[in-house]
Amino acid sequence: MEAQGIPEPLNLYARRSRLLSSGRRGAALSTASTVVVIALIAAVFLLAPGSRQVRHTFFNPTDMWRAFVGDPKAGYYSVGEALWLNIRMFVVAEILILALALVVAVVRQSTGPVLLPLRVVATVYVDVARGVPLILLIFAIGFGAPALQLTVLSTQSAAVYGVIALVLSYSAYVSEVYRAGINSVHRSQVSAARSLGLSGWASMRFVILPQAVRNIIPPLLNDFISLQKDTALVGVLGSIEANKAAELFSDTTFNYSSYAVAAILFLILTIPLARFTDHLIARDRARRLAVAGP
Amino acid sequence: MRQITVAAVAAITALTASVGLAACSSISSSSSAGGSGSGATASSSASSGSSAASCSNASIQKNLYAKGTLTVATDKPAYPPWFENNAPSNGQGYESAVAYAVASQLGFSRSQVKWAYEPFNDSYAPGPKKFDFDINEVSYSAQRAQVVSFSDSYYDVQQSLVALKSSPIVSKHSPSDLKGYVFGDQVGTTSLAFINSQIQPTHTPKVFETLNDVKQALQTKQIAALVTDTPTAQYISSSEIPGSVMVAQFPSTGEHYGLLFAKGNPLVGCVNQALATLKSNGTLAKLTTQWLKIYTSVPTIKP
Amino acid sequence: MPPLPLQTLRIEGLHKSFGANEVLRGIDLEVASHEVICLIGASGSGKSTLLRCVNLLERVDAGAIYLDGQEITAPGVDDNLVRRHIGIVFQSFNLFPHMTVERNITLAPVKVLGLSQAEAAEQARVLLERFGLAEKRADYPDRLSGGQQQRVAIVRALAMRPRLMLFDEVTSALDPELVAEVLEVISELAEGGMTMLIATHEMGFARDIAGRVCFLADGQIVEQGPPARLFSQPSDERTQRFLRRIVDAGRL
Repeated sequence: MEAQGIPEPLNLYARRSRLLSSGRRGAALSTASTVVVIALIAAVFLLAPGSRQVRHTFFNPTDMWRAFVGDPKAGYYSVGEALWLNIRMFVVAEILILALALVVAVVRQSTGPVLLPLRVVATVYVDVARGVPLILLIFAIGFGAPALQLTVLSTQSAAVYGVIALVLSYSAYVSEVYRAGINSVHRSQVSAARSLGLSGWASMRFVILPQAVRNIIPPLLNDFISLQKDTALVGVLGSIEANKAAELFSDTTFNYSSYAVAAILFLILTIPLARFTDHLIARDRARRLAVAGP
Repeated sequence: MRQITVAAVAAITALTASVGLAACSSISSSSSAGGSGSGATASSSASSGSSAASCSNASIQKNLYAKGTLTVATDKPAYPPWFENNAPSNGQGYESAVAYAVASQLGFSRSQVKWAYEPFNDSYAPGPKKFDFDINEVSYSAQRAQVVSFSDSYYDVQQSLVALKSSPIVSKHSPSDLKGYVFGDQVGTTSLAFINSQIQPTHTPKVFETLNDVKQALQTKQIAALVTDTPTAQYISSSEIPGSVMVAQFPSTGEHYGLLFAKGNPLVGCVNQALATLKSNGTLAKLTTQWLKIYTSVPTIKP
Repeated sequence: MPPLPLQTLRIEGLHKSFGANEVLRGIDLEVASHEVICLIGASGSGKSTLLRCVNLLERVDAGAIYLDGQEITAPGVDDNLVRRHIGIVFQSFNLFPHMTVERNITLAPVKVLGLSQAEAAEQARVLLERFGLAEKRADYPDRLSGGQQQRVAIVRALAMRPRLMLFDEVTSALDPELVAEVLEVISELAEGGMTMLIATHEMGFARDIAGRVCFLADGQIVEQGPPARLFSQPSDERTQRFLRRIVDAGRL
C-alpha cells in the first residue's frame, strides 16, 4: 500500500491497439488494406506489357477446354481423364503408406532386445528412403525392375512401379510423423494402460495410437496432399498422367494453358479435402472436450 | 486521429478505384498490340522484301539476337544422326551441318556461329527468344505456326518402327496386327499423333520424357516397338541398341522439319532464301546422303 | 495344499535407484489380507516409487515382492499377468480421453480378462451405480469434474477385480470440496474388505481409515504403527518433525 497518497495512473491503452481492436473501424481498415494489396498485385499483372500474351499463352479458355477434353489423334490426351490415373495411384499409395509407416514407427518405438534387428533395419530404411530423391527412386524401380527380367516383378505397369516407389519414399517421412504423434501422448497414459494388465501391443493399439493419430492429422494431410502432386513424377515412366497430358498438349499446340487445367483440377481435389479434414477434427474435439465443467 | 483515419481510408479507396479503371482500359487497348515479344509486326515470312540485297550479312544484323553472331539453339543431349558427340559446334551431324550451311549462305563464317541450349519445352514460350533460330527436329504444324514462325522444310519426315529382334512385331505387322502392340515414343515429337491417328492401337502408347528413356523401355520390353523418325530409327537400330532392328518405315504424311523462329522474325525470309539455294545447288541432298544414310531398301508398311 | 497366506503383500529389502539417486533404500513391508496401510512422508520420500514398484511399473534393483505368497519380481514372471491382480489409481487420474467413461472401464476386462462386451458393460454399470456415477456412463472424461474423473479411475481399476488396490496421492490434484467424494469411495472399499496401500497427504483420512500408518523418509520406512499411536506419540525424531510441520499447516 502506498505511503505517500494516490499512486500514479497506469498507462493501459497502447496507441496502436485502439485503432485495430475497436470493432468496426479496425475491421474496415484491415479490409481496405487487404483489398489494396490484392488490387495492386492484379494491377501489376494486368498492366504489364506482356500481359495479354501471357494470359493467352497460359490461361486461354479455349485451349484450356481443348486440353481438358483431349484429342489423341492430334497427339494429346484429356487432362481430366489422365487425372484419373493420378487419383488411383495416390489412393492406393496412401493406404499402403499409412500402413507401412505405422509398422515402421511402432517398430522404431519398441524396446526390448528381441526386436533389435528389426529396429536397425527400420532406422536404416528411414534414413535411406528420406535421403534418396523420389525421382531417382522412381527411375530405379521403374526401369530397374523390368531390366531384371523376372516373371512377375518385371512385367508390371508403370503405375505399379510408381506406386511402389511412392510408398517406399513417403512411408519413411510419414513414419516420423507417427513417431511424433506417439511421443506426444503423455507417458502417464502408458502407465495407466499397462497397470490395467494391457500388454505393450494392446496399450499401443487401444490407448496410444488412437490419441497419437488424432494429434497428427494435420501433418498427415500435408503429406497426403504432397503425395497427390508427386504422382506426376510417375510420368517419367511413360504413363499418361495429368501433368504428362498437359505437357503433350503444350508440346503439340505450343500453348501452356493445359497446365492451368491440371493445377485447377488438383486444387479441386485438395481444397475440399482440407476443409473436410478440418471439419472432422473440429467435430471430434467438440465431442470429446468439455465446454464448461460442472 | 479520427479525421486522419477517415482520410486515409478514403485515399486508399480512391487509389484502388483508379488502378482498377486503368487496368480495365489497358486491357481493351492492348488487344491490337500483338503477341510478339520482339515487337516486330506479325507478317508472314515471305513478305519482308525478298530481294537478295536485303539478305546481305550487313542488312540482317539488326534482326540478330547478338550483333555479328548467328545464335543457333538446340536441346541437350543432341542426338545422332542430327548431331555428333553432343557437340553441335563440331559441324558433324545433319542438323549441325545444315545450320552451318545456312549460316554460310547468310555470310557468317564458322566462328561467327554460336550455339545456345534451349530445352524443347521452353523454345515456344512467349516473350523474346535467346536465339536467332532453333534447330531441333521440330515439325511444322499450322497450330504451332500461330505461336512461332517456321522456315521452309530442311528435311521431309517419315515415321519408323524400331523393335527388338525377338519381338513378334518384326514378322507380324499387318495393319490389324499393329493395333495390338504397346508403342513408345518421346514427348514433343509428332510420333504420338501419328500412332493414334494412323495406327490407332488398342493399348495407350507410353510417352517418355527423353529418347534415352524410350530406348531403355524398349530394351526392358516395356514397349513392343518405338516410333520415331526414320534417321533416328536407323541410328538406334544400327548403332545403339544391340539386338534391335528397324522393322519398317511408314508412308509420308507430309510432315517436315522447319527451323523455329520467334513469331514474325524478319530473318525467316532470308533463311528461306538460303534453304532454297541449298536445295537447288544440291547441298542439302549431299548432306542428307552424308549424315542420314537413307537406304532406299527400307521397307515401307501401311499403318 | 498349503494354507492360503494371510499376507496379500510382502516386500523384502526393496532398493530402487534412478541413475545416481537412490530413492528406496531397503523397504520391508507386510500387508495382511483386508488390511489398509497408509504411507505418509514428505514429497520425494519415495511413496510413489514404492507403489510403482509394487505393480512392476518400475523394475526393482534389489529385493523381492510377494503377492499372496508368490514372488512377482522373480525372473520370467509376466508383468502383464501380475498387473491383472493389482489395481492402481494415480494422482492425475489418467483416464483415456478418447474413450467414454464406460469404454474406459470395459476396455481391460474385455481385452485382458476376456469378458464379453455385454458382461463388462453390466459390471461397469453396477460399479458406476454403486458410486453414484451411473448417468455419466456415456460421457467423455473431459466433461467430468476432477472428483468424478478420479472416482471413474477407481471404478476402472476395480473392474479388473484386483486383490490389492494401490492409491498414489489420489486427492492431491483435487479441489478441496471434491476430495470428500473420493475419500468416501475409498472408505467404502475398505469397509468391503479390500486390501489397500494408500499414499496420501490427508492425515485426517489416514487416521480414520488406516489400520497402520507407515512414515517414509530418506527411502526407508522410519516408523510404522496404528494411526492413533503414530500421530500422537511418534517415536522417531524425523516423524515428529514431519508431523509438527503438518500440524502447523493446519492439515491435522
